[in-house]
Amino acid sequence: METRVAFKEELRELEERALQGLDMVVSSLERVMEALQHQDVELAEMVVEDDDRIDGRYLEVHQGILSLLARQAPVATDLRLVAALLDVIKHVERMGDQCVNIAKVIPLTGHEPPSDRAMLETLAEMGRHAASLVEQSKRAFAGRNVELAQDLVVRDEAINRLQREAFRLAIEIGDDVDTREWAMTMLLVARAIERIGDNAVDIGEQTAFVVTGLFREFTDASHPAGV
Amino acid sequence: MTTRPPTETGSMDPRTDTAKPASTEQEGRFGRTSMSGAKGRHVSVENLDAWYGDQHAVKSFNIEYEPNKVTAMIGPSGSGKSTMVRCINRMHEEIPGARVSGKIAIDGEDLYHASVDVTSVRHAAGMVFQKPNPFPTMSIFDNVAAGPRLTGMKGGGLKERVEKSLRGAALWDEVKDRLNQPGIGLSGGQQQRLCIARALAVEPEVILMDEPCSALDPIATLRIEELIDELKQRYTIVIVTHNMQQAARVADSTAFMLDGELIEVGPTERMFTKPNDDRTEQYVSGKFG
Repeated sequence: METRVAFKEELRELEERALQGLDMVVSSLERVMEALQHQDVELAEMVVEDDDRIDGRYLEVHQGILSLLARQAPVATDLRLVAALLDVIKHVERMGDQCVNIAKVIPLTGHEPPSDRAMLETLAEMGRHAASLVEQSKRAFAGRNVELAQDLVVRDEAINRLQREAFRLAIEIGDDVDTREWAMTMLLVARAIERIGDNAVDIGEQTAFVVTGLFREFTDASHPAGV
Repeated sequence: MTTRPPTETGSMDPRTDTAKPASTEQEGRFGRTSMSGAKGRHVSVENLDAWYGDQHAVKSFNIEYEPNKVTAMIGPSGSGKSTMVRCINRMHEEIPGARVSGKIAIDGEDLYHASVDVTSVRHAAGMVFQKPNPFPTMSIFDNVAAGPRLTGMKGGGLKERVEKSLRGAALWDEVKDRLNQPGIGLSGGQQQRLCIARALAVEPEVILMDEPCSALDPIATLRIEELIDELKQRYTIVIVTHNMQQAARVADSTAFMLDGELIEVGPTERMFTKPNDDRTEQYVSGKFG
């Protein structure tokens, strides 16, 4: 006889709601990247306002997990899943905030700011990579696929490489003060996208934790060479 | 390994025992009077089998109970947990048709050795049962004093032992002014602590608890659990429980039994976060049992 049917259903729904948060992040990221490419201030404002939905999802899942812990006292795999979902939903909320950070710098550069095609293309590529990474983190977690989760590190390196490229472009952008100011602002955008990639990798680490019971960082920023 | 064929009498057959001869120290430990109880002892169970008639209740069971640690025995009803624990203080053999084979030793001394007095084994391994069972006609004092009196203790030494035991069971402050009142007049939680005091009075080395909180309310349960945490400083404790959260709260190690077999034993934290065996996972998650 199957037991704890209601608990299992509740846990399944919580996971679904948390992972749907990643879809919301992808949507927000795609819109803010479009706003950046077209200097669309209104679309950027919509991204800021829409972040309330992501924050709401965070509160909803967080409260649901606390309630589940209090009432159902999950253990073993269930406990690891619940703990991981707390982490996942936190990353969802932070990725949403990074989209807001990007959206908020768009109006600062004015209606027709100086721009650099290479820089914008680099950032657009970063955005596409990051959205793809977030989607992959969702698939890895939902499928309990450690291999797919570990692959996030490899793909995140592409984002890091593009961020370094953006930095190089900013340095070489020329002597015009307005253009240099714009380039500095674009570096903030690059940084925000890079952080979204890191958050996706963190979700991959939670996937490995749920499956193996062992938590370890795929990459250690403090000791990158394993020192 | 020492394997004994089941006997008609229900106890292990000493004829096939290969344990070393009882030393003077062993005489002291399982003799009638001298058990220090100062520190918990190491309890080892090797290839233990136990039967109720034809029913094979415990199968090829091996485990080490570490000194000054709490080990929780968990498993569904009928999995052999209580039988296993009752073998440690040789109560299982009292049941008609029951029999045991294998070896149980405290610090290497075989509890089933022919020279060992069964009564001394029960002093060495005190038992607390599911329902508080104070002697109904006895006062609080006499309930605790009953065991020591059997060893000839009396007078000031006996009073001292009773107070020490009641303090050890965290009951002294609540009953010190009414020691002559009946033990059954206490609340359920107090009665259970009285039973623990009674077990402590004979200065055991191991305390066995068979569902000690199942008849208690949550507050009384928490007091017993706090007491268990204190007692493990001095004793080796084995607790049988159906309450998974209780096992998680009080036990250093947890052993999972199913159909008479030990499926898995390990640190409690691991058993409740990442058990190695899928059956353990299913049980602790409430998927069966």
